[in-house]
Amino acid sequence: MNTAVETENLTKYFKGDGGKERIVAVDHVSLSIREGEFFGLLGPNGAGKTTLIKILCTLVIPDEGTARVAGFDVVKDAEKVRECIGWLHGETGGRALYWRLSARDNLKFYAYLQNIPKDVARRRIDALLEFFELDKDADRLVKDFSTGMKMRVMLARTLLSNAPILLMDEPTVGLDATGAIETRRLLQALCRELHKTIVFTTHNIFEAERLCDRIAVMNKGRVIAVDTPLRLSEITRKYMGVEVRFRGSAEEAVRILEGLRVVKRIISVESEEDHTVIRAEVRDEEQALSEIPKVFSLNGLRTIGVQVALPNLEEVFLSLTDEEK
Amino acid sequence: MNRLEVLKLFMVEEKRTKSSLRQLSAVVWSQLKMMLAYKSWLIMDLLSTFASVVMYYFVGMQVDPTRLSQSGWGTSYLAFSLVGVATSNYLWACLTRLSHSIQHEIRGGTLETIAVTPINMFIFFIGLTARGYLVSLIYLVGVFTVGVYGLGAKLSFTPQSLFLFITLFVLMLVSNQALGLVAAGIIMVYKRGDPLVFILAAVNEFLAGVLYPLELLKRFPAVQLLSMLFPYTYALDGMRRVLILGASILDLKVLTDIVVLGVFSIMLVPLGLKTLAWGYNRIRREGTTSSY
Ligand SMILES: Nc1ncnc2c1ncn2[C@@H]1O[C@H](COP(=O)(O)OP(=O)(O)OP(=O)(O)O)[C@@H](O)[C@H]1O
Ligand SMILES: [Mg+2]
Repeated sequence: MNTAVETENLTKYFKGDGGKERIVAVDHVSLSIREGEFFGLLGPNGAGKTTLIKILCTLVIPDEGTARVAGFDVVKDAEKVRECIGWLHGETGGRALYWRLSARDNLKFYAYLQNIPKDVARRRIDALLEFFELDKDADRLVKDFSTGMKMRVMLARTLLSNAPILLMDEPTVGLDATGAIETRRLLQALCRELHKTIVFTTHNIFEAERLCDRIAVMNKGRVIAVDTPLRLSEITRKYMGVEVRFRGSAEEAVRILEGLRVVKRIISVESEEDHTVIRAEVRDEEQALSEIPKVFSLNGLRTIGVQVALPNLEEVFLSLTDEEK
Repeated sequence: MNRLEVLKLFMVEEKRTKSSLRQLSAVVWSQLKMMLAYKSWLIMDLLSTFASVVMYYFVGMQVDPTRLSQSGWGTSYLAFSLVGVATSNYLWACLTRLSHSIQHEIRGGTLETIAVTPINMFIFFIGLTARGYLVSLIYLVGVFTVGVYGLGAKLSFTPQSLFLFITLFVLMLVSNQALGLVAAGIIMVYKRGDPLVFILAAVNEFLAGVLYPLELLKRFPAVQLLSMLFPYTYALDGMRRVLILGASILDLKVLTDIVVLGVFSIMLVPLGLKTLAWGYNRIRREGTTSSY
């Protein structure tokens, strides 16, 4: 099977605020994505997903390492790469369209830029407008559209060129539930039936699990795990955590918790109005639930409540990073 | 339309032939279409064209014609100012339009969506200037029409003077657009400085003598020297000699203007193209092809 996307030690630095600090947005990423694979990039805010995608679609020039898309180098053969990709940036929330053009004109414009023959373009535009339920609004200016409608125009634009490789950065952001489901199904069909390679980013672990053949988990620019959803969710399932609410010194509480064998790691300390909330990953939930209040009261801390806390994405990521160390 | 029907449309690979011309016309088409979406703006612009010409007509009636003729520009202030007013919009279009449009595309996030398609970005940038050129053309034709046929300004429109006028005019566009490319390249990177370019264009317009004979600057040698740094100064001088005084190709001053403009163009065009390419690569390094 051929490789659709391949990166080797791909690295991108950005100047931080004030120009002094250097941010490593993408940190020595080596990935190999097969043709026809549905590949997810999952990670918390600032993990480097968007930057990685932008490098792949030739918008950002990397500082170190190489990336090849459809066999072409993203720096040396940028124009060739552009003939093989469709890109969507959901984070823009529908801004990246010409607001003073109608939905149809937006699509028509891009069809011309993509060198699509006129009759093919017309048929496809009609079909996509209908599929995304925009046919009635097709000739209205995009500026009057809702965010979800704008997103759908952007989706149609990305698919229009029938590119073999689709780089979808948060493609379901801003869509309502049915819109998101239909879009996921379409992407899945494009991948399964038409053998398109789809690289997509999301914060939504469930979305990623459902769609992807493989998922790369990113954190702070680095890929910390690449695996099938099944294997990754085993890790998620192994995760155990608790949430403790109490009154008293937070530093004292952290010190005590760190001293307990059952506590693996403190995740967060947040002060509410009149009490403090600490989330921690633990080795055994039952044991933690009974042990923590006891130790707290011995040390003069008043426990308000202890409960099992479901992990959020970030905690799973942190847990993964930890295991990697 | 269901999913399967959509899929069917994508099963066939169509043949594509890359045509830069088709891409360019798509950019121009979209730009014009967007411009027409601002209908009130368009009407205002046409009205203000008319108003400004009429204003110069009345200003001209107050101006002492001997001052003008002492400087060697005939006796009609209307004719004198008409040439400046009709062409100065092009100065603005050349200097400011591209940098302004690129800024707009960066802020709207649309530059990125263009940059991932197979269009050569230079073609796109050329297309972005089209709108300014077209509006300026309407303005130029409007000003000359109102001035000559409405208010009776006397300009020489012989085949020779028209040929010379067009030559000078094209050289003016090339040299000033090259300056506009430099501005666009720099502004693309630093995201600020748009107002600076507007000020520069205004200073340029003023110093080139759109509304008064440059001979009046004799008392301020430094200012006069400064005015000689701008291509538009030479273009305006030449165009006036041709249209007002009916100067021929043998006129040494007209020839000098053409040569100076030619030198400007030869020097500035490569500089402009290099700066633009530098700017575009720089924003791809810094990751600032969009800014929300
Ligand atoms: N143009 C830029 N200049 C400076 N820093 C940048 C730039 N673009 C991104 N960064 C920084 O690089 C890091 C990675 O950002 P990126 O947008 O790639 O993350 P992400 O995974 O897409 O996050 P999100 O989930 O919020 O979309 C962040 O720390 C971000 O602040
Ligand atoms: Mg992102």
